[in-house]
Amino acid sequence: MFPPTSAAVPLLFGSVAIGVSAAILAWRARPNPGAMPLVWLLAGQSWWSTCIVFSLSAGTAAEAVFWTRVGWVGVMTVPVAWILFSLEYTGRDEYLTRRNVALLAVIPALTVALALTEEYHGLLYVREVGVTARGSVLVEQGGIWYVVAAGYTYLLAVLGIVPILGLLSSGATAFRGQSAALIVGVVTPWATNVLYNLGAFPNVGIDPTPIAFAISGVAYLGAIDRFRMFGANPAPAWRAKQFLFDHIHEGVVVVDGHDTIVEMNRAAAETLEVDVKRAVGSRGTEMLPLSEPFRTDGERELLTVGTGSASRSYDVGVSELTDRHGGTLGYVFTLHDVTRYLQQQQRLKVLNRVLRHNIRTETNIIQGYAERTSGETAETITQRTARIVEISEKGRDAIDLFEDTVNDRGGTSLVGLLERSLDDARDAFPAVEFELEYPAEDAAVSEGLSVVLNNLIENAALHNDGEDRRVTVTAELDDDRARLRVVDNGPGIDDYELDVLNSGTETPLRHASGLGLWLVKWGTEVIDGSVTFESNDPTGTVVTATVPVRRRGVPDHNA
Amino acid sequence: MASKTNETPVSTDAVPWHADVPESVVDVGCRIRDVLTYSSTYLVFIAMIEVLTVHIVLSIPPNPAPIVVGLVTFAVYAGDRIADAADDEVSSPERSAFVTRHRTLLSVLTAITYGLAIALSLTGGPLALAITLLPGGFWILYASDWLPSLGSYFKRLKRVLIVNSTIVASAWAIAVVGLPLAFAEASVTPLAAVVFVYFLVDTFVNTEIPNVRDVEADEAVGVSTLPVVFGVRRTRHILYGLDLALVAFVVAALSLGILPAAAAAAILVGLGYALVLAWFVGRNAAPGRLAIAGEAKHLVVFALLLVFTTGI
Repeated sequence: MFPPTSAAVPLLFGSVAIGVSAAILAWRARPNPGAMPLVWLLAGQSWWSTCIVFSLSAGTAAEAVFWTRVGWVGVMTVPVAWILFSLEYTGRDEYLTRRNVALLAVIPALTVALALTEEYHGLLYVREVGVTARGSVLVEQGGIWYVVAAGYTYLLAVLGIVPILGLLSSGATAFRGQSAALIVGVVTPWATNVLYNLGAFPNVGIDPTPIAFAISGVAYLGAIDRFRMFGANPAPAWRAKQFLFDHIHEGVVVVDGHDTIVEMNRAAAETLEVDVKRAVGSRGTEMLPLSEPFRTDGERELLTVGTGSASRSYDVGVSELTDRHGGTLGYVFTLHDVTRYLQQQQRLKVLNRVLRHNIRTETNIIQGYAERTSGETAETITQRTARIVEISEKGRDAIDLFEDTVNDRGGTSLVGLLERSLDDARDAFPAVEFELEYPAEDAAVSEGLSVVLNNLIENAALHNDGEDRRVTVTAELDDDRARLRVVDNGPGIDDYELDVLNSGTETPLRHASGLGLWLVKWGTEVIDGSVTFESNDPTGTVVTATVPVRRRGVPDHNA
Repeated sequence: MASKTNETPVSTDAVPWHADVPESVVDVGCRIRDVLTYSSTYLVFIAMIEVLTVHIVLSIPPNPAPIVVGLVTFAVYAGDRIADAADDEVSSPERSAFVTRHRTLLSVLTAITYGLAIALSLTGGPLALAITLLPGGFWILYASDWLPSLGSYFKRLKRVLIVNSTIVASAWAIAVVGLPLAFAEASVTPLAAVVFVYFLVDTFVNTEIPNVRDVEADEAVGVSTLPVVFGVRRTRHILYGLDLALVAFVVAALSLGILPAAAAAAILVGLGYALVLAWFVGRNAAPGRLAIAGEAKHLVVFALLLVFTTGI
């Protein structure tokens, strides 16, 4: 039977009981991240406590020294298991390679070997120094290697705490609770050990660290049971950041403040046709041959890789990385593949040329020939060719709309745009009475709005065949939006046309009569606006286009 | 002790024996019975009785061994029930439902009881600690998925014919006989060896009895047991053979003067009881009760031993 020799013994028994219980619960939680390292940690500290119990109950000095030496297996298991747990639990398991684990275990293995062979070298001595009044053998430990082992243990303790500290500010209560419990669990015994080594417990007679494991065990049990440590695990969060960085379709290159590449994802490596390991450490400006120094004001430029038809173009974005004081740490370059977009733009340019020049030229020739003859046939040919010209102009407007919107960075004056459109409309439709109301304060809007407005005014004027033809254009500013209303007293827009427009697409059997209303819809959409159609009383249509305002108070109306 | 025991409450149209007892008392009684059987807590008492039997036969003074064995029994068996809750849905749906419903509580309780057992075993020294760790270690090899996780060459020992029951029997025979000796710091005598063999073979038999009920479920999950491989009839014959061999062994130990007459008499009565139970294997409508009856044999042996040795 075990003779009670110290007041610390009941606490040691408690630390073993709690440690083993927590280890069993952690073992059952496999394969959750951190479960197995926590089992090793708890097994290590329980073994340490067990060996101290056996050392205190030893009948001979040799036996007491033996158990103290064997206890070093547990002593050195704890710090290694702690760092492994910390990395795995927080999702940094990519560092847990066999090589790294073996490296971490070198000093602990050496320590255990030195403890077991201490009589041959004295580097880590374990000696009997006396007997207590109750008959327990007192054992002293020390030597140069003791300092190394203690330092290494403290180092791993601190390194393991760092990733867990980050969870203290987590938005999830469970993670905050888990991390707090874990920190209490690891800090208590290590603080006890530091104080013991500093001579703070002269009367205890034994290293009280294993006694503190009773508190650790309770903390770990709390983390497992109360805060569902293996039911809600933060490990994926860290991995997700790395996963997104590695697998995002955009290429990402991180450059430090000295133009050295410090990180690059797979997409960037494939784009630049380089190996990530070789690229890291090289100069950013060599890898990213941009024409200008880094610009972080939102301006972008293109990077073309390859030649001829195999070349690809990338829109390069630059974001500055700053420290908490606002100082520049580096830059993040994003490479967005815009090859298809540029190809589409080239095709639009070709179409634009065809619509702008070739069709008009050909129809002019046809009209010329038609004018040489007379009669109904000639009249029909003239009307139809005029219709072809009109359609081609609408198509050209559509192309201009998309190009202008893309290239239009500064915006244009709302009032100037309204006046230009109304002037053109008065020239084109002299029989129609136009009214214009615009706000006292001007604002910058997208150039694309002109296509929308021209088509709305044209639609209101052209299809109005009454005697008193009127079109009223009203513009209002409301915070960051401009609202334009075009009101006419014509026959109104056919519901069928509006249905097709609202459906967003056409079929061979269901289509609108022309491109005008499509240009209105596309135009408002492409500049992040919206358009609504309502009936006017007693006749006509009220069209309301709402578009964003770039900025208020543009001084020059013709900007 | 056997590894599998479950009794499905038997429904009958006859007027139950407790018809005149107040309903609330019956309800509480049924709940206690469910807890004792489904969580295998009743095995705790039987395990402790087995250790006390060893104490009496080997004349070992009282020590914490029965408590430690009781705690370990609860931890290992309830832990096994938790691990096998899904597989038990076929053979023991009530037990599976009970364990699933109380999984968290049982899980924490089993961890705490094993922790307490380990801590208590420290008072018996390193050997007592090693013996206390043994059932848990064997259980990891026997029933958990740890061994298969090492590679495709390994499988749960629970699936391997004879090895499965031998592991269970060895773990418990070592714990039941070894722990009182370790706490008492007594040496292993021929008498202790005889008692060890008795518990080893007897536990093996008791482990195979409930396997008769679980043939279909065991086949479904790939567990090889005597009834699965040899069939129920031949299993019954094997159990006869093992019990009779044990009778011969006890008689031999008695004739050699190793085993005291009182102990031999109690054990032989118990073995007679076991042979009768073996006859019912495969013929009984309530195999779960048969398994419990097999475990309860140790109560009979202990009672007889008390009568024979102390005259109580």
